[in-house]
Amino acid sequence: MQSAAWLPVAFEVTLLVGALAVLLVAVVAGRSRDVWGPVAGIAFAASALMGVWQWIDVETNGGGLFFSSDNFSIVRSPMVVMDSFSALAAVVLGAVGFVAFLSSWDLQAQLGKRAAEFSALMLLAVAGLHMMTATPNLVVIFIGLETASIAFYVLAGFTRKTEGSDESALKYFMLGSLASALFLYGVALTFAATGSLTLYGVNSIRNFFSGQLITEPGILLVGLALMLVGLMFKVSAAPFHQWAPDVYQGAPAGAVGVMAAGVKVAGFAALARIFLGGMISQIDAWAPILAVIAALSMVVGTVMALVQDDVKRMLAYSGVAHAGYILTTIVAGVPGLEAMWFYLATYAFMIVGAFAVVSAVNGPGSGAAPIASLKGLARRSPETAWLMAILMLGMSGMPFFAGFVGKVLAFVAVAEAGYLWLVIIGTLTTVIGLVFYLRIVATMFSRDGDATDESTESESLSVSLPTRFAIVIAAVVTFFFGVVPWPLLDVVRSALPF
Amino acid sequence: MPVLTILIALPFLGAAVVALLPTRRPETVFPVALGVSMAPLAVAVYLLAEYSIDGAVFQFFENYVVSERFGIAWELAIDGISLFMVVLTALLFPIAIAASRSVTEKAKTYMVLMLILEGAVLGVFLALDLIVFFAFFEIVLIPMYLLISMWGSERRAYAALKFVLFTAVGSAFLLVGIIVLALQAGDATGTLSSFDWRLMLAIDISETTQFWLFIAFGLAFAIKVPLFPFHTWLPDAHTEAPTAGSVILAGVLLKMGTYGLLRFNLSLFPDASVDLAPILGVLGVIGIIYGAAAAIVQPDIKRLVAYSSVSHMGFIVLGTFALTSQSLQGSVFQMISHGLTTGALFLLIGMIYERTHTRAIADYGGLAKVMPVYAGIFLFSAFASAGLPALSGFVGEFMILVGSYLTFPVLSIVAGFGVILAAVYLLWAYERVFTGEVNPKIAGLKDLSFREIAIMVPLVVLIIGLGVYPKPVMDRIQPSVESILERVETATDYEAPEFGRIADVEMVEHHDGPSDSHEGGEG
Repeated sequence: MQSAAWLPVAFEVTLLVGALAVLLVAVVAGRSRDVWGPVAGIAFAASALMGVWQWIDVETNGGGLFFSSDNFSIVRSPMVVMDSFSALAAVVLGAVGFVAFLSSWDLQAQLGKRAAEFSALMLLAVAGLHMMTATPNLVVIFIGLETASIAFYVLAGFTRKTEGSDESALKYFMLGSLASALFLYGVALTFAATGSLTLYGVNSIRNFFSGQLITEPGILLVGLALMLVGLMFKVSAAPFHQWAPDVYQGAPAGAVGVMAAGVKVAGFAALARIFLGGMISQIDAWAPILAVIAALSMVVGTVMALVQDDVKRMLAYSGVAHAGYILTTIVAGVPGLEAMWFYLATYAFMIVGAFAVVSAVNGPGSGAAPIASLKGLARRSPETAWLMAILMLGMSGMPFFAGFVGKVLAFVAVAEAGYLWLVIIGTLTTVIGLVFYLRIVATMFSRDGDATDESTESESLSVSLPTRFAIVIAAVVTFFFGVVPWPLLDVVRSALPF
Repeated sequence: MPVLTILIALPFLGAAVVALLPTRRPETVFPVALGVSMAPLAVAVYLLAEYSIDGAVFQFFENYVVSERFGIAWELAIDGISLFMVVLTALLFPIAIAASRSVTEKAKTYMVLMLILEGAVLGVFLALDLIVFFAFFEIVLIPMYLLISMWGSERRAYAALKFVLFTAVGSAFLLVGIIVLALQAGDATGTLSSFDWRLMLAIDISETTQFWLFIAFGLAFAIKVPLFPFHTWLPDAHTEAPTAGSVILAGVLLKMGTYGLLRFNLSLFPDASVDLAPILGVLGVIGIIYGAAAAIVQPDIKRLVAYSSVSHMGFIVLGTFALTSQSLQGSVFQMISHGLTTGALFLLIGMIYERTHTRAIADYGGLAKVMPVYAGIFLFSAFASAGLPALSGFVGEFMILVGSYLTFPVLSIVAGFGVILAAVYLLWAYERVFTGEVNPKIAGLKDLSFREIAIMVPLVVLIIGLGVYPKPVMDRIQPSVESILERVETATDYEAPEFGRIADVEMVEHHDGPSDSHEGGEG
């Protein structure tokens, strides 16, 4: 069967059409969510299915290109590729987007008339995220990055009348656009040094490394460093993480999940394509740098998460640590890709699920989410408390939960690559991480303070059906792939195009 | 029939059954939990009956490849050591659950956690694949953490976290060690990694690597045992845990450490084991004396028993690294015996704590007049713990002392003082709690109920039975520890001393081995 010519862009097109349809329907058929809500949900679900279709097509036909200037013999640069890598990213991003959309259901109810724009922005953001993963072209990566980032700046400030949300949006915008600018400058310098914007293929950066004498190594190095800094900022790796706690805390709880999960998936996928696709021959030069950033992220994220009293800030810092663990897989080179995808795919669900719980407990539009607010959750909503416990144990890397499998895969890969010190730092920070993850669990199940706290504590908590559904999916993914990781491992292993 | 897989699955299934009980009928939780915890015990008894003394060291072998590329398999088997660890686990859990009648708050969660804990502990003792072993070893922390932090006494949050952190730091190094070892084993098989314990036995590990791996594994297990100076988590955890938690901690969880030392450190790193044995022996003896000395001065009866565990576990480490057949057999036997005697003491302390809500020795006095049956059983358990001949505690400690005299004569003699100190702290505590004037605060307490006596009976019977006739147990332990010793002897130039070879005439009397020891005790 010949693959359809438009299939490489099917994911983005589905989401863009969905976004436009949501806005149109909202205008034409009134702003009732009953009308446009399903459209947005279907768009997310359909995009994930498009990812599956792309995956099947890659397996049978071997992938495809879009905007490929085959006849332009000098550049010959495909703008969009469809390979197992991008197809897997499509499945993960589509599914995570769908779950995150469900978890933002309460927030949309609270936003009222503005909820249609909210959903449309979410669809656009996920489309941009996938664009970063489905191209070997540096400029297209940048376009995807900006599409997603601008949507996220707006999402962060969507409840700007509440405390912190406008601060969050402004901070994210200022620092985020600086990072984008750095990335773009890096792209420009790389182009100046190599004459190519394509990572691999004919006349690409990869070939440049193998074939040519590098006449301007300084410019190239600065370019690479700037691109690295830009991406490290987006995935909140230390020391480029300072924005994350404030942004996560201030942004509405219902919107943080997709920001935290989506950017990590797309950012690391793009990073892997740039460094493992375009610059694999220079791995001895850049891997030590990434190893230092990874170690720093694990240590800083873990230590800072220890002292947080706010769940959202804690999750932000733990996200820094997770960025470190994921970075170790890239340090390991191509053999680490499998671990990277496993980690990304499962962590994305965990973080979306965790923010869904925060949204359910503290209110979807809330900024601050003190850990104390989880007190007695086991009594107010036992089901939510147990699911949150699963998510926390998953993040902490306990065996029989997906985080453990991801971490062990990462550690095995990076130990095989010779970075044993990184493994030791990783296991030790994992232990320290137990403190704050278990603190959440202990707080939820604690008997203390039953009598001391106000009556609101003892009221049972009702969680709306979509949010509950999102939490359940996240917990099931965390537990199932922790016990039976092999199906997912088989899939991610074939997502190695380089 | 995959009987070992069934054995591990049963507690988890039981936990699911308990979790699905209707919330409106809280009174069903206790009988159902007790009932389902009997199922693993039945399987364990079946294993005990079917384990063939003359057969292979490892029996009931199960091996399902999970991932060929990573070399991971669901690989379970039982040898003479794990057999008794499994039986001990399957026995102590129903007893601990039966002793938890007074847990009414969130009883369902409590029982679910107990059963999950049981399944995980069984997995630790049965797994021969290191990553599966590690998974069970690590996950044990979570139910135990929750049991201590939700049902413990005043300082439970602190004690629970301390317990998790200490153990988890050890496991961090254990995981690094396992990964390094697995990558080396993978080189031998041509796969990325291999976590198969039997395959790891076959590969050649350089002495330097062995040294570091021994440290990594040893640290994890030493913290779990706990070996001096890593013991500081234990008194807190034992004291703050609910009764059943203390019983399981002392009875089963500590054994995971000594089991790990036997199964992994000795077998996988024989060179390093022989080199480092004196250091571990010294640490063991320091633990014996230090634990006993600390126990003497404890004003809190539960803390006293906790420190006595440090002392008893020191014997096991000494016996393990004395590297003689007798001392190793004694160590395994002491692992069983310590589970029974310390379990019994913690149960008894729990029973009195439920009545008085105080653990301070000073709050008691003359209890023997108020609760004569209780006093009798307590005295019996204290004697057993102190190693009175004809009770189980004697057999293990005697064999350890005799066996380690061959390799570490000085250490063995010093450790002997630990036995005397044990009599001091236990009997002095007995004197202060049970004799003298009746403290008015405890006058009128009810003696043990039928249920409480029923809980103690199996332990008492086993303590006497193993003390008088340890042969059936020793017959099963001996081939397993000797295969470990043989492995050490073939891999290094170490030769385990035997009694026939030394001129010490007094020692020759015991040269026939295990079946003799109880006679020595009776005489």
